[in-house]
Amino acid sequence: MRRTTDPSVQTTGDETGAECPYCGSTNTVREHPRGPSLCRSMHYCQGCEQPFEKFE
Amino acid sequence: MTDDTTPTDPSKAAVDGRHDVDVAFNPDADAGATPCAYTEYVERGDVDGLPATGEDATGLERAVWDALYAVEDPEMPVSIVDLGLIYGVELEADSSDEETAAGATAENDAHVRVIMTLTYTGCPARKMLTEEVREAAASPDGVASAELELVWSPEWSLDMVTDQGKTDLREFGLSV
Repeated sequence: MRRTTDPSVQTTGDETGAECPYCGSTNTVREHPRGPSLCRSMHYCQGCEQPFEKFE
Repeated sequence: MTDDTTPTDPSKAAVDGRHDVDVAFNPDADAGATPCAYTEYVERGDVDGLPATGEDATGLERAVWDALYAVEDPEMPVSIVDLGLIYGVELEADSSDEETAAGATAENDAHVRVIMTLTYTGCPARKMLTEEVREAAASPDGVASAELELVWSPEWSLDMVTDQGKTDLREFGLSV
């Protein structure tokens, strides 16, 4: 069976460099293109070691 | 239903009318699929003037905008106007009302038309938000009725969020 990418998880957002809302660091990585809501993505801050969400 | 544990009987399902959709599996059916098969994607047009915030509005239109500002996103304490979801507000005197011709003031029975979008076509809050917005637009004194038109072009993006909206989002703990 051939699998295709689910288009609903495509995003135009960058995978790194989102500004952490807690410490302001941009040393962050995206963990998932979608969060608890379709208009957010999940990121992790290497600076303060906190997960956060980015509004997309 | 009381017999949930009974394996589905095709003939019974057909009678129920609940399973009358052909679900035969076809792995190539979505080869050209887009995120929503029922949406025609239009390139972003002229976005000058968007987001509409009603900053020049006066009188009754001002009252409508103020009511819209009071509507917040269901998940975040940010006004939908600051999120840039409102593309326009149009007011017109209700010409179908014969009392207007008879001398009643036209300002007292205006018809409001709100043009708005959502962040995603599949937004689960669609019904809730559109109802809330329509009711808010109809709430000021002098508005007789309100309708809401949902549009998807130009598509919404973060550019539509106002500076105030971005401040509110950050305060809420979201990166923007």
